[in-house]
Amino acid sequence: MPSAEEWDEQREARMSDSATAMRHLVGYARPFLGEFLVVVGLVLVYIGTQVVQPWLVKIVIDQDLIVRHPQFRAILTIGLVYLGITIVGLFSNFTQNRKLQWIGQRIVRNIRNDLFKHIESLSVRFFDTHETGRLITNVSSDTNQVSQFFTSFLLSLIQDGATVLFVMGAMMLLDWKIALVSFVVIPVIVLISGLFRKKLRDNYRYTRSRYSRLIGYTAENLGGMRITQIFHQQQKQFDQHTELNERYTEGNINEYRWSVRFNRTFSALGNLCIALMMWVGGEAVLHRTIQVGVLYAFISYIQQFFNPINSLTQNWNTLQTSMISAERIGGVLLTKPEIEDPKMPVVVRQISPAGPVDMVGTIRFDHVTFGYDPASPVIRDVTFTIPAKSFVGFVGETGAGKSTLMGLLTRFYDVNDGRITVDNIDLKSFRQQDLHRLMAIVQQEVNLFSGTVRDNIRLFRPEITDAAVEQAATTAGADTFIRELPGGYNAWIRAKGANLSLGQRQLLAFSRALALEPKILILDEATASLDSATEVALQAGLTRIAAGRTTLVIAHRLSTIRDADMIYVMDHGRIIEWGSHEQLMAQAGYYRELVTKSVPAELVEREA
Amino acid sequence: MMRTFIVKRKWSYLAGIVAIGAAQFFQVRIPHILGNFINRLKVGGTTPHVILGFALDLAVVAAGYVVAFGLGQTQVGRLGRTWEFEMRQTLFSHWETLSARYFQQHSVGDLLNHSLNDVTAVRQALSMGLNQISQAVFLFLATLYMTIRTINLRLTLFSLVPLVFIPIVIAIIRPEVRTRSRLVQEGLSDMSESAEESFQAIRLIKAASNEAVEVKRFTEKTQTIVDRQMRLVRLNTVFQALVPLLSGIGFTVGLVYGGWLVIHGRISLGSFVAFTVYLSMLVQPLMQFGIVINLFQNASASIVRLQVLLQEKPDIQEALNPINREQWSGRLTVSHLNFFYPNATRPALSDVSFNVREGTTLGIVGKTGSGKTTLLNLILRDYDPPPASILFDGVDIRDMRLSDLRQLVAYVPQDGFLFSTTIGHNIAFANPTVVLEAVKAAALQSKIWDTIESMPSGINTEIGERGIMLSGGQRQRTAIARALIKSNAKILMLDDSLSAVDARTESEILQVLRQVRGEKTTMIAAHRLSALRDADWIIVLDRGRIIQSGVHQDLIKTPGFYADLYRIQTGGEPAHA
Repeated sequence: MPSAEEWDEQREARMSDSATAMRHLVGYARPFLGEFLVVVGLVLVYIGTQVVQPWLVKIVIDQDLIVRHPQFRAILTIGLVYLGITIVGLFSNFTQNRKLQWIGQRIVRNIRNDLFKHIESLSVRFFDTHETGRLITNVSSDTNQVSQFFTSFLLSLIQDGATVLFVMGAMMLLDWKIALVSFVVIPVIVLISGLFRKKLRDNYRYTRSRYSRLIGYTAENLGGMRITQIFHQQQKQFDQHTELNERYTEGNINEYRWSVRFNRTFSALGNLCIALMMWVGGEAVLHRTIQVGVLYAFISYIQQFFNPINSLTQNWNTLQTSMISAERIGGVLLTKPEIEDPKMPVVVRQISPAGPVDMVGTIRFDHVTFGYDPASPVIRDVTFTIPAKSFVGFVGETGAGKSTLMGLLTRFYDVNDGRITVDNIDLKSFRQQDLHRLMAIVQQEVNLFSGTVRDNIRLFRPEITDAAVEQAATTAGADTFIRELPGGYNAWIRAKGANLSLGQRQLLAFSRALALEPKILILDEATASLDSATEVALQAGLTRIAAGRTTLVIAHRLSTIRDADMIYVMDHGRIIEWGSHEQLMAQAGYYRELVTKSVPAELVEREA
Repeated sequence: MMRTFIVKRKWSYLAGIVAIGAAQFFQVRIPHILGNFINRLKVGGTTPHVILGFALDLAVVAAGYVVAFGLGQTQVGRLGRTWEFEMRQTLFSHWETLSARYFQQHSVGDLLNHSLNDVTAVRQALSMGLNQISQAVFLFLATLYMTIRTINLRLTLFSLVPLVFIPIVIAIIRPEVRTRSRLVQEGLSDMSESAEESFQAIRLIKAASNEAVEVKRFTEKTQTIVDRQMRLVRLNTVFQALVPLLSGIGFTVGLVYGGWLVIHGRISLGSFVAFTVYLSMLVQPLMQFGIVINLFQNASASIVRLQVLLQEKPDIQEALNPINREQWSGRLTVSHLNFFYPNATRPALSDVSFNVREGTTLGIVGKTGSGKTTLLNLILRDYDPPPASILFDGVDIRDMRLSDLRQLVAYVPQDGFLFSTTIGHNIAFANPTVVLEAVKAAALQSKIWDTIESMPSGINTEIGERGIMLSGGQRQRTAIARALIKSNAKILMLDDSLSAVDARTESEILQVLRQVRGEKTTMIAAHRLSALRDADWIIVLDRGRIIQSGVHQDLIKTPGFYADLYRIQTGGEPAHA
């Protein structure tokens, strides 16, 4: 992109990122090169017709009106030619417009699809550090801004640039001396628009940042209005709002005032040029060096000349926004997934399409150490083995490292030290896809998708049959309530799941895990948000779900894992105790302390 | 609402519009000067001095145009932005009067859309729309005046006839454009929603290796957008071509008929030239007509939405003659309380009665949805209870001044909502003038002080949007400190506010609460019985009814919900062990 390169020469250092990103995104336009050329051709035809128009009027004036014996027939002919040319021009412009939009839409679609696919491929850590809202903006509006680069900026560059050149050419053809005199204004225009551009940009940025602060404040206060009211702080919050609103409004008015000044300066300049042309051209007509029609054409051309220059300057804004968006998208697209598949993965044989594989699900952690920041490990030298098909519980206070262990097992994160194996094969030897086919995870928060209950259970996978979905729901104990929904399995679920209770959502999550037929099932605080009574109802289903697979359960409430084959007690990233409930209670250690803390005092006294 | 604003500022608006109008009358002088100039040139016998005179004349007129138009535009634009300012102020203060029901029925995103889109849409109509409309109208009138008076009536009529079709075309095509662009918008929000769902569920998707399925779903959405967008583009390009086509036809008519008139000596060459300039001057405002109409249509839809919003009456009204008391003690009586949520068929609370003496602690237990939070919210008058069903020191809370009631209650919400300011300001929220020692004391009581001290800027640490920098337990503890700092409050209310703190911290906080006992009446709603073991009285709610009540020791011995729950939570030991 030579144009982009020229432009950022002066600030190459700062802009190099966005230039790289832009260059990367320009690749999306390459398949449409042929179409682009057609567009450019049509643009040139259109501009040609626009530039010819004053010329035709000039012919009418000089050859048909100013002469002693004017002929109406000639005027009629030129009038028809004028109409014909206008129609040709409009048709090219019309076709060009459609074609360009067609290209632009396809470019946006392709960038969106690739961007989405790329984001989905990134590791969980990326999602820990990037806000969802931000990513959605990347996909929905930044992609659109980038396509503006092609459909709006490039078009303007070609169209306005060509207009300026064509008009200058026409003026030179008419009378090169007068043309050269009138070109004097070009540096003036460039200078003035340069001066204004900085001011306009600064004002724009200032107002934007004020605006987003105001909106942020409003959003937060809407969310916390109840608290404001209960604490009776309406006046204070309103005063802060007034202050932010005043600052934004001040910036907004100022920004507008400057843009009016800019536009009016430009129109003043345009009119001054016409006055100049009257003076210079008028003298030339007086000395019979040019005819009246030529003067007319010159004045028309000067008017045509100012529009494209004005729109070119305004298009720098489009370029700026596109560049910023390109930088954002590029930043995401150039992020490499932190976790990559091995070059030579182990082969996992697929027994049925839905997921069962020829593995049993023995898990081993071997001296595993891990920290989100390697300098401060949250898992310290953890070693244990979980036999296939056993039921294991993990307990400990918030922050002890339980969920992190599960994140390592699913390879959302890679261990810093040590290794984790499944059926004695290092996790890193699996393709992530194969590894994940082995497992299913149920979390405290149930994510639902807009779609039917059925599709939510099978996660929109066509290979999981209706029968399998219903089988899974029945096993999980969800079948009864699903059938009571209007529409049953085809009932439509809203994304936020407002039409389902917490317990129902959790049952759906269990059904979903079952439909995937995992060898390893991870329940990460899956029942924490339920009240105890609902939890008990779920517990029965849990036993059925766990049957025949390796099941790992993290529980806030210790009752959930009382019957586990093995309980690991974690504290500050270490496993400090392990054994069955009875063994651990007998040890009188940390586990016992945890149990007594969560039990009303009298019971402990009685037990003691 | 737009009207009252304009009426209030009618002189400012008048000044702005007069300036814009004047500018147009300046502008139409320009072709006129050009025409005269051409005539003088054609006739011959001019001098350079005369030519310079014409040029200067034009420059002066142009300067008048630029100055008047600039002033008018700035004035109208500034007024529009002042409207925007006032509207945002009105909205915010209106929202502050609305009650909990309203915020439950409307999502923050929806409400914010008023502030983001509706206010901006109206402002655009008020500033840009008004500017362009008055420019177009005045320009059109001024042009007609000049062309009819100085050139030729019939020429004007003939060549302007095609332009009459422009509004007709707009009227025909608009509704369809709106339908199609709405479809595009829906497609876009569909796509965003699908991306949001997917990104939020990323762990699930990865753990189920479902990425490919998600990509395929997303691809379908983006394709829908392309298809719908192209349908819109097809219509828009037709419109964009029609306007210049019609004005091109008008121009041709002007050229041919104008030429004929010149040949037959009806008009001068200068008038002919001036006329072509007039025609080209009109094209731009006409082209923008579609945009302006769009602006006003959007604005009128937005105005309706804003009106609906502003007509919303607060549910909770201040009593006409509120009861004033110097001293309140914190005795609470609930008698035969029944409550239905709006549009609900099942009561949220039915026949609930109990008494909390000054300085005692009441525990409330029940499943999710049993009515615990509803009960607390009614005492806060988030919703209005039926008359005489909730009494504070024997006074119906509906007869109390709302500010008194809320000052008397220190409340800790379930979600521990915090504002994105410093942790110190959050704790001192109820009383911004409070001294540092008081903040520290409250923070010490709620076991958050150690956390605050370990933060980079201590008490002045910014805790991010909704307190995102803090863990769930830390947020709850900060919210408890915020309630404890209200030293004048007589009732302390905790709505399951300890659920995210671990068992050890919970018992420490309960210890502290025990110290304030005797001074303050305390109400604790909880899932976990451990949070309630010190309560003087416990009520058990089920589907809005009190099914059991008593003290802990008695309740665990009575077969029923409480004893069952106790057994579940203590891990299966029989209650009568």
